Amino acid sequence: MALTGRTGLLALLGTIVVLFAPRPGLAVLVIEGLLLLAVVLDLCLAGSVRALRFTREGERLVRLGDSVTVDLIVANPGRRRVRGLLRDAWPPSAHPAPRLHPVDLPAGERRRVRTVLTPSRRGDREAVRVTVRSLGPLGLAARQGTHAVPWTVRVLPPFHSRRHLGAKLAKLRELQGSHPALIRGQGTEFDSLREYVIGDDIRSIDWRATARRSDVVVRTWRPERDRRVLIVLDTGRTSAARVGDIPRLDSAMDAALLLAALAARAGDRVDLLAYDRQVRTQVSGESRTTLLPALVNAMAPIEASLVEADAPGMTAAILARARRRCLLVLLTDLNPPALEEGLLTVLPELTARHLVLLAAVADPRIAELAAGRGGAEAVYDAASAERALADRQAITATLARRGVQVVDAPPETIAPALADAYLALKAAGRL
Amino acid sequence: MSTPTSPTIRGIARALRLPLALLLLMVVAATVATLIQPDERRQGRHLDPADTSAQGAKALAVLLAERGVTVHRVERVAEAAELATDDTTIVVTSSVRVGLEQLTTLAELPGDRVIVDPFPQDLPTLVPGVTVESGARPTSRLPGCSLPAATAAGTVFTGGVTFSAPEHGEGCYHADGEPTLVSIAEEGVRTVVLGDGEFMTNRRLAEDGNAALALNLLGARPNLIWLMPSPLDRPPPGEGGESFEDLIPAGVLWATLQLVIAVVFVALWRGRRLGPVVSEALPVVVRAAETVEGRGRLYRSRHAHDRAAAALRAGALGRITGRLGLNHDADPDAITQAIAVRTGRDPVQVAEVLHGPPPAGDAELVVLADQLDTVEREVRGS
Repeated sequence: MALTGRTGLLALLGTIVVLFAPRPGLAVLVIEGLLLLAVVLDLCLAGSVRALRFTREGERLVRLGDSVTVDLIVANPGRRRVRGLLRDAWPPSAHPAPRLHPVDLPAGERRRVRTVLTPSRRGDREAVRVTVRSLGPLGLAARQGTHAVPWTVRVLPPFHSRRHLGAKLAKLRELQGSHPALIRGQGTEFDSLREYVIGDDIRSIDWRATARRSDVVVRTWRPERDRRVLIVLDTGRTSAARVGDIPRLDSAMDAALLLAALAARAGDRVDLLAYDRQVRTQVSGESRTTLLPALVNAMAPIEASLVEADAPGMTAAILARARRRCLLVLLTDLNPPALEEGLLTVLPELTARHLVLLAAVADPRIAELAAGRGGAEAVYDAASAERALADRQAITATLARRGVQVVDAPPETIAPALADAYLALKAAGRL
Repeated sequence: MSTPTSPTIRGIARALRLPLALLLLMVVAATVATLIQPDERRQGRHLDPADTSAQGAKALAVLLAERGVTVHRVERVAEAAELATDDTTIVVTSSVRVGLEQLTTLAELPGDRVIVDPFPQDLPTLVPGVTVESGARPTSRLPGCSLPAATAAGTVFTGGVTFSAPEHGEGCYHADGEPTLVSIAEEGVRTVVLGDGEFMTNRRLAEDGNAALALNLLGARPNLIWLMPSPLDRPPPGEGGESFEDLIPAGVLWATLQLVIAVVFVALWRGRRLGPVVSEALPVVVRAAETVEGRGRLYRSRHAHDRAAAALRAGALGRITGRLGLNHDADPDAITQAIAVRTGRDPVQVAEVLHGPPPAGDAELVVLADQLDTVEREVRGS
């Protein structure tokens, strides 16, 4: 139950009555008695909250930054009208609006209550509870009850790098030779023979085939297809650190999504593995059309955990999933101590069988610090930043010597940089 | 698909059963304990003729009664005034508890007076001419005077405070030359001021000549009024016959009660939440650059000019060699030479900036950073 402000107001007015009543003691007793009676009466006449039936309708998926509507259908099978307030509680980061809904439910009817969620964090948001406060006819007291009406909205990674996809696909088409300008396909895999048209590169004429036919025939190349790409997300502590205002993991996801979209168009098979000390999620064997939805769905609930990533375990998990040669894209951080003790010790096992590409989100703040001048404080910070940059370069050089290609870019450019690295590898036929 | 999660009335009743039972048990236990316990007010009340504890003075009261003295134990000055005649002795054991107006009443009562351990401010009213001098350790003392009651008793456990006796008074049991007992006899009325009443307690009465002195002082008259001032002994109503509280109309008090009830209602209204508080596990916020900034602060706090300079030089060298197309680990002299050729600077000066001794202080470090910047800029611009 709950009281309303009206009860308090009446009691307050009672104070004046008591002040001037001839028998104030009796007046207090009478006022309290009347108030109590009215409250009890109100409680008895208020519509039952317990009897209400709730169902939900609406969307279950939303991209981070978008809004989603979730409808709550309230049915009142009781005999009394339910009038009052309804609160559909969601976690704070779901930002439900409005917070409170006025409800007026005649007996035996249903009403739809619409809540708009604008989540500010990736992951699953579960509806908490639905609470209804049903006022009595006098408006002095209300019955209050809570119902559990489960519903989950999955907030997907935003995939901001989608805007780069068009440009990268154009590059890919160029590689494939299907560019409108009829540039010779720069792929490395023999595709087919076709008739020469003006504008074709004469170097691609296949003289042997031309001799057999009456026409001039050119060879076309296409980039290699049906290669495997395994994207590995490191969800350990280094991915939890924030660059700008978003965790490294989110930037890495963005880059992974662009790469996956591009590779799927290029005809490669893309798998995903997220690992810190155990497999956090994995996607494998998805077709070209279902790949992206499967990836965002798998990535949505992953948060970086504050543990050191287990490199040997990760290697074992990778080798168990990638039996054939594939392009291994490790999305992690170029953190010298973490890499030296982790990945570098097990790198030979990976490089022996796979092509390893390591992508790391660099922090623009460090470059900013390195450029700092003007006072002892700024210069010391600059020295520290120089030291960090030097360490990063050293570990990059070490990795390069061990046959690992490194993409090191700030969050805004990591996704296109990784896509470019992939396209370069594809053009070179190294997959 | 929805399930109510609020408890039913039956559920609430079941959940409250144990706490309510415990509460009831506690109330019962507290009530019984209070009933069994003796009246605390009576326990250990100093110099109370009805108190049998070591602090009390029941033994003295009994001895007095055996000698035919009627002991009236009173708690109010008004009662004392009713009983007081010329043939009574009034004992005041704690004048501090007597209100100011009543003190005057008390001083004007007829009969002998024995005042024990008086409150210094009360003395001028009760016994004009006697003032408190200083403190004295209670111990056995010789009379050292000619007061019959004292000489008959001999050594007595006295102390407390010392007084200055007026000329017509007599001082006994001196501590550092000042009396702890002053007796003033005027117009057949005797007033005795004692610095300490410990010798009259049940604990001390049997020691030395304590009992003798007490009996001599208190048993001089057939009636003894023993004033144990009660905190309830309020002054009589004022001039209009009404106290401040009486002047407030009853309605105001009841209205205050009603106001309190209204506040409780408002509190209940505002305090009732609509549904549970929703908590959410939030991710930690760790800025990636935190370690770098931390190391910068560490350099600064340890004044690590040399390390900082080395890091700055290494960074600048790396960028310059990259731009000059030299190998990263090329000979320093070769690098210096190449820079000098490109920028037209003095090679010695360039070598000083790039490979010179580490700076000696923060100021020099700042200068070095600027010099490195200049060299780098010139190489880039050339």
